[in-house]
Amino acid sequence: MKPERDNISRETMVNPKKDNTLKGTLISVLLLGAFILISWFIVFAIFISR
Amino acid sequence: MMEKHLSISPKEARLVMAHMYVAFISLLVGGLMGLLQTFVRSGSFDLPFGIGYYQILTAHGVILALVLTTFFIIGFQFALMSKTVGISDKQRLSAWIGFWTMLIGTLLTAGTILTGKANVLYTFYAPLKAFPTFYIGLALVVVGSWIACFTNFRQLAVWKKTHKGEKSPLLAFMVVINMLLWYIATLGVAATVLIQFIPWSLGMVDTINVLVSRTLFWYFGHPLVYFWLLPAYMAWYAIIPKIIGGKIFSDALARLSFVLFLMFSIPVGFHHQLTEPGIDPLWKFIQVVLTFMVIIPSLLTAFSMFATFEMAGRSKGYTSLFGWIKALPWKDVRFFAPVVGMLAFIPAGTGGIINASHQMNQVIHNTIWVTGHFHLTVGTTVILTFFGISYWLIPSLTGRKLTKKINTLGIIQTIVWSVGMFIMSGSMHIAGLLGAPRRSAYSTYTGAEQVDTWIGYQLAQAIGGTILFIGIVLMVYIFFYMVLGAPKGKASFPIAEVSEEAEPTPQYLENWKLWIGITIALILFAYTIPFIDIIQHSPPGSEGFENLIR
Repeated sequence: MKPERDNISRETMVNPKKDNTLKGTLISVLLLGAFILISWFIVFAIFISR
Repeated sequence: MMEKHLSISPKEARLVMAHMYVAFISLLVGGLMGLLQTFVRSGSFDLPFGIGYYQILTAHGVILALVLTTFFIIGFQFALMSKTVGISDKQRLSAWIGFWTMLIGTLLTAGTILTGKANVLYTFYAPLKAFPTFYIGLALVVVGSWIACFTNFRQLAVWKKTHKGEKSPLLAFMVVINMLLWYIATLGVAATVLIQFIPWSLGMVDTINVLVSRTLFWYFGHPLVYFWLLPAYMAWYAIIPKIIGGKIFSDALARLSFVLFLMFSIPVGFHHQLTEPGIDPLWKFIQVVLTFMVIIPSLLTAFSMFATFEMAGRSKGYTSLFGWIKALPWKDVRFFAPVVGMLAFIPAGTGGIINASHQMNQVIHNTIWVTGHFHLTVGTTVILTFFGISYWLIPSLTGRKLTKKINTLGIIQTIVWSVGMFIMSGSMHIAGLLGAPRRSAYSTYTGAEQVDTWIGYQLAQAIGGTILFIGIVLMVYIFFYMVLGAPKGKASFPIAEVSEEAEPTPQYLENWKLWIGITIALILFAYTIPFIDIIQHSPPGSEGFENLIR
């Protein structure tokens, strides 16, 4: 059993899985969060100034 | 494991299409009313033939926000259930009974509005009083929708019996969550209509408890928004991935977000009543906190959509940071219309957070900002997704093809809609911040200086509204072309598979008793004490005012 498991892990290392990074998603959701916060604080500023 | 999908029989297709006819005719009629309103508010148009502004405002709200949405959603959901868990002859019969009950109710209510006997707007706030058939019609619409609810529940229950131990199909799970949400929420509006409004409008009682009626309305009114939104989310989670050649990012995440919507979208109605006297501020605050909980599943959805798009793009070889955006099928209207809807949800959701922010609500309360807000949510995000659904649903039901010409026209329609809404909703948001009121007809307010700052934006609303009406005419043409004119053929009913890399869905996500139990507990927690307080400390009830506004 042991050598077979080694084979699998070596194969996985040699042929890494397809590109599944989600960096674009991370930046997109950060931008989304920034948009929400900026908009909220603009209206908050109006609220405070009135 | 891959889900098996059933084919939709001609009898099932007829059922779904009956709902779609009502929805698209409503779009045309309700849209025309909206166009007329923007003209009146621009200050340069008077309604002919003695038609009243508040009459068309009521018609616009009821026909679009209640009739169009409910019929489209229930029809779409029957299609999803037929495709995933099937429908028996008995279930189809009960679905038809539900449809006819809703249609009779709709005609009764719409007829009352059009004869000028129900100028009470779609929120029908007491003490404005309509002719009894307005409320009886609404009650029938709700009862008809309950028949649809229980038909859907039965459909899944029967499937579960024959598929012991299997998790329910994702779309069927979502439909049942949405119908549970609808059923629990409509209990509030049914209570106020049956116990308060109908006896009052029939003259059986003289007065009405205004705050109780408004509280029961908003107990229903906020989850109503999610009843509109969740079918759009169904398409985003489970259908769009197939259209873009990708997979569902995570079945478990999709189910979790729907469960969270069920739990947190109902005990939040007080955020519509933040400036209302007679409700303990502590309970308003508690419901504001619960409202903010409902942001979580929307943010989960936003993350999930970006991840689905990025994974699909990268699997096609687009490996740069934002290269995956290029891989998306921008020229396919089945993707383009809903994705524009998704983008609109960014400012729409942000506006919603601002509206619900307790004291900050005073900045925008009862201003036309709020109208701008829900024209972005339901009037753009939801409706563009529904249009996106129609481009594959209608041809697949009518045995026709989505032609290149209609695809292009659909893309033009989406652009027209976006431009019109950007102008109309954008100017509503700005005018609202400047204090322009919502609901009211054109007025110079005896020449108040502040009014001058609004008028330019009110003209812009008329321009945006006109562009939107062109969009409506285009969409109604596209609908009837897909029903009657498109070449015969086979259109696909796209349902996506879950990504192989997604974690397996935990069993507990389908623990209905647990989720319904938590939902009821949260509702009881958020409403029991303040509601008893409202009843115990009520001022005297109000008499009704008929035709106070017209």
